[in-house]
Amino acid sequence: MPPIGVDEWVARSGERTEGHAGPLAPVLRRLERIPPWAWLAIAAGAAALFPLLTDSAFALRVGVNALLLAMLALGLNVVVGWAGLLDLGYIAFYGFGAYAFALVSSDQLGEDGVHLPAWISIPAIMVAAAVLGLLLGLPSRRLVGDYLAIVTLFFGQVFVELVVNLDRVRLPGADEPISLTGGPNGIPGVDPISVLGTEIITPRGYFYLLLVLTVLLMAGLHLLDRSRTGRAWRAVREDALAASFMTIPVNGVKLMAFAFGAAIAALAGSVFAAVQAGVFPQSFETPFLILIYAALILGGAGSIAGAVLGAVVVSVTLELLRDPDQASVLFYGVVLLTLVARLRPWKLLAAVLGATVALGLVTHGAAGAISPDLTAGEPALGGWTGGALDAWLVLPENAATAGNWAFVALVCGVLATTLLAPRLRPLAIVPLVYVAAFAWEARLVGQPAITRQLLLGALLVVMMTWRAHGLLGSRRVEVL
Amino acid sequence: MLELSGVGLSFGGVRAVHDLDLAVEEGEIVSLIGPNGAGKTTVFNLITGVYGPQAGDIRFAGRSIAGLPPHRIAGRGLARTFQAIRLFLNMSVKENVLAATYGNTSAQPWQSILRTPKARREERDANAVAESALGFFGQRLAGYRWDQPAYSLSYANRRRLEIARAMATEPRMLLLDEPAAGMNPHETAEIAEVIGRLRDERGYTILVIEHDMHVVEGISDRVVALDHGKAIARGSFDQVATHPAVVEAYLGRGAASTKR
Repeated sequence: MPPIGVDEWVARSGERTEGHAGPLAPVLRRLERIPPWAWLAIAAGAAALFPLLTDSAFALRVGVNALLLAMLALGLNVVVGWAGLLDLGYIAFYGFGAYAFALVSSDQLGEDGVHLPAWISIPAIMVAAAVLGLLLGLPSRRLVGDYLAIVTLFFGQVFVELVVNLDRVRLPGADEPISLTGGPNGIPGVDPISVLGTEIITPRGYFYLLLVLTVLLMAGLHLLDRSRTGRAWRAVREDALAASFMTIPVNGVKLMAFAFGAAIAALAGSVFAAVQAGVFPQSFETPFLILIYAALILGGAGSIAGAVLGAVVVSVTLELLRDPDQASVLFYGVVLLTLVARLRPWKLLAAVLGATVALGLVTHGAAGAISPDLTAGEPALGGWTGGALDAWLVLPENAATAGNWAFVALVCGVLATTLLAPRLRPLAIVPLVYVAAFAWEARLVGQPAITRQLLLGALLVVMMTWRAHGLLGSRRVEVL
Repeated sequence: MLELSGVGLSFGGVRAVHDLDLAVEEGEIVSLIGPNGAGKTTVFNLITGVYGPQAGDIRFAGRSIAGLPPHRIAGRGLARTFQAIRLFLNMSVKENVLAATYGNTSAQPWQSILRTPKARREERDANAVAESALGFFGQRLAGYRWDQPAYSLSYANRRRLEIARAMATEPRMLLLDEPAAGMNPHETAEIAEVIGRLRDERGYTILVIEHDMHVVEGISDRVVALDHGKAIARGSFDQVATHPAVVEAYLGRGAASTKR
């Protein structure tokens, strides 16, 4: 510890005040000292245990999807998180990898099809994707920010259009048009990947294959991040002009980032084609691109571990939200956690929670006294929590219309609350929570396809307000 | 070492730099002065490759650098700092300096990932260069700051870090754009001393834009005054400071006769 008041003491005041405090401080500080290699080994070991704990094909499939999304987020992190290039055409490289793998591992081409072994085709596809990445990266030499985003978004759309329409290609010299991509029906019957002479056909096998690939990718990217290339990418993100005066060839470095991202996405795409045993154009449309971005931003752009964690959180959350029961747990959990996290001191929190419970019980009692029909509905949750909810919430049998209105009221109410003076806000929270619960039970819980996206969006908003730099990202200052 | 001959540059109808001749010999410290808008920073931008000259030629160490992109010019041994500080704010102090070693290293990404002997050796050398550049500023950029993000530095330290970063490109010549801007008198005196040491200890040739005349007087071997993109006076500090054209450029016509 330097003497109080000297330069070093002043410069380190941030570490002291922003560092960990409270009873957990020694534990947290020890956790920080664990090297990244050890973290990677621990995480990989824990993930490797997962298939041993479950036999459910569905759970394994969720794991496979999470790892695919993790690889995609890692690739996107190179382009967006490090090089700072807003690339909205990224999904096209995922699709390119999948379709390229499908073409050379199925009966699609020629009489008997082409069936290359995966250890030849996948590296070749990655190289081809990198070259394609270089080509699509060419506009980035001139375009920055929003302009680059628009142009690359266009490339992403072009890919889907091409794939859907290349089903009647007339090659020069051929009489019959051939179907290159299978159009909207895609390419079925893609070969599985063989490793050491064994075909991988189970979700469990693909989980382990993807786990190995993801761990290797994380290790490689970590080493790259700390090399001259990684520093050059981040320097270009921070200030491209200054970087060019510091001997960094800005255009070359940007193109390299595009190529790396494309190769990683194509790798994920190839494995995806094998997992699905087929490829279909709708897998590569913009909604999935948004999911990849959501994973990266949630985890923390610029952080390798963050990209993977974000991907796991996003894919597991989306699966949980399919089931009304689990979706309800998540919904009420998020509402409760938000209240606990945001309301201070604890007396205020207790008052708000108490008032919410009281409001529900009183309303429920009054509504029940007027007409039993008003409380005839059943919440989606089972068990004692469902019973408690039933005694708290006014819920008629078919409340879809009322639910619509409640949803509109909820959105307006939340917006209005932000305009209130901070000390009045807790008052508004009580009815808002009640209306939210009503809208949820009356309308939203029955529409998982829509509420999934809504809830994920809400989760992201809460998350970004709480930690704008993502779960594992490091705090950044805006460069003006 | 650096030689501009007949250099011209116009933006639309504005002649930012016009028929400029400027020569800096090896080991010299030359100051570029002039009122606001005289074209000083534009001259720096021309030398470092932001713009290519529309007329004339720029030669560095005997070879023409006119029209080369900035990173190539920097690679030839010409490094610069900025009037408005341009650090990589969200990178650590040491990474800022390490990033500038890019041009003097050549390990490919796969070599960095596999940590081949070449990549390791380069990384060691780059670290040595960075630590020597940071060490030049002694306690100001001492080791405990190296892992802190650059945005946590004070204004004066950001200026110092910018110079350290320029040093890490292993240049032969430094272009400093108002290194003392925004500094207090104490820090200004320190920067003047640093500029002297950069030449004496590191052997850099230095071209500096500066508004603080005490600094200019203290450090310059020669002074060149610029106005409307033209060199209006050159010579020792005393010669330039009392030159009628310079006094007129700063104070307006007639001021020369009323002065003193």
